Amino acid sequence: MESQIQKIHNQLVAKEFTCTALVQVKLALLKENKYNSVNTVLEELALEAAAKVDVKIANGEEIGLLEGIPFGIKDVYMVQGTYTSASSDLLKNYKSAYTATAIQKLLDAGAIPMAKENCDSFGHGSSSENTVFGSVKNAVDTSLVAGGSSGGSAVNVAANYTVFSIGGDTGGSIRQPAGYNKIYGLKPTYGRVSRYGLMAYASSTDTVGPLAKSIEDVAIVMNVISGKDAKDQTSVVSEEIKAEVVASKPEGVKVGYFKNFIENDAIDATIKADFLATIEKVKSAGYEVQELDFFNADTLVSTYYTLAMAETASNLSRLDGTNYGNRIEDKNLKETYMLTRSENFTEETKRRIVGGNQVLSQGFSDAIYLKGQELRKEIEAAFEADFNKVAIILSPVTPGPVPKIGEVLSNPHAMYLSDAYTVGFSLGQLPTLTCPFGTETGIQVTGAKNKEQTILQFANFLNQVQ
Amino acid sequence: MSKIMPVDILSSIKGAKSSEAVDKLFEVIKNAETNQNSSNQNAKNAVSIDDLRADVVENSSEITKQIIKENFPKEKDGYLVVSKVIEG
Repeated sequence: MESQIQKIHNQLVAKEFTCTALVQVKLALLKENKYNSVNTVLEELALEAAAKVDVKIANGEEIGLLEGIPFGIKDVYMVQGTYTSASSDLLKNYKSAYTATAIQKLLDAGAIPMAKENCDSFGHGSSSENTVFGSVKNAVDTSLVAGGSSGGSAVNVAANYTVFSIGGDTGGSIRQPAGYNKIYGLKPTYGRVSRYGLMAYASSTDTVGPLAKSIEDVAIVMNVISGKDAKDQTSVVSEEIKAEVVASKPEGVKVGYFKNFIENDAIDATIKADFLATIEKVKSAGYEVQELDFFNADTLVSTYYTLAMAETASNLSRLDGTNYGNRIEDKNLKETYMLTRSENFTEETKRRIVGGNQVLSQGFSDAIYLKGQELRKEIEAAFEADFNKVAIILSPVTPGPVPKIGEVLSNPHAMYLSDAYTVGFSLGQLPTLTCPFGTETGIQVTGAKNKEQTILQFANFLNQVQ
Repeated sequence: MSKIMPVDILSSIKGAKSSEAVDKLFEVIKNAETNQNSSNQNAKNAVSIDDLRADVVENSSEITKQIIKENFPKEKDGYLVVSKVIEG
């Protein structure tokens, strides 16, 4: 699909419609929506921003590419003065006191904030059913889950309610819902986009990234939100993604895929066949394809969840209803903490906090947490070795098809295992793009750290041979 | 006094206990084989001392201060109210 951002930009400049009219149409869609994809509609902010763009156009002033483009924001990002609930009861009425760096950069570029989008509570989930705002429904088939945790963001883009959305990806939360709703979703290299103002889930793998309908739009948004930020000391300097490089044919690129992801009993037969058909297309186009050995899915999932739970138990320990949040009073401060947390966290969030505190406690930390850290180092070293052999690694997004609503939350262990193909790249802090083709739930294109341009270029080639 | 603190107290969640789904993940880690040589890798994620933010207090804007106060669960005369201080 062509760039929606460029198309709307041209229409605004040509005065085919006003920015206010565009925003009003999108606001109506967001309010009436049948997918439960939105927690708060930012009507006042959006109309105010749109009016400014219209004044500039009316005065004959030049506007930037993102100026007047409506976008959505996963409800885990701070936007000053708006509710930021993390889809939880605890923070349902919490107002952001400041604005996240990535969002501020988009606002500075003139993009129009439309909505805070429904998601799994605190990012804890793979279906966007773990939310106090009601399960998000899939944009392609409403009987299916939207995916998670950035489910509302993926659905809003797929349904044309927003032109792009900003999601968050800790273990697959952008890539998997992008695949489930047949759009693009990029998990950038860890640190490429500042995490300042993102409500922390697992700080060592949390990333900020776009969901959009075209590769060009992913690149446009990335070029605006990337960059080093003094407010996030893990952020890194990055180079611009050049549109002309992304549009050109990749030359001399070696491609790999993990044999054990494909040769196992857990993968759905159709997803396996479709993935291998894509590999054949890559070979037919003249690229060398290598089979690679990698860690088994059980080890990847267990390592990721062990570390993510430990980090989330620590990050969410600050949520006790003292300074903010839905405090529930009890007989003393300690009991107030306990009652507030017991009543305001969802079952899945409590499961992850308890699991995290288990692995961090005496007697468990050596056998589980520290061993998990060892495994992570080995996984990172294996990626480094693989990217000395190949430039691109292809993989399915999920082992199975999109689940029906209600199937996921009842079996948490199965939910964790469904993240088998996404969590490894999170542990490796590698850039990975989901493309909406190749298998029913899409295909992932991964590169070495900071190789976003390379993966977008290869994805563009894959799109052309579909 | 026992040094073992139960997970419900550690987590500040009433009645919290370990779950079968999560225990299955931990079992995989316990049984996994690791390469003992990997621990000598550099701490690649460490932040350079040159990148550290200046250790200075920055005053928040008036709007930020106002919103922080709006978020107080219980407020009296501009002060945050808590139920009772934990003893000893």
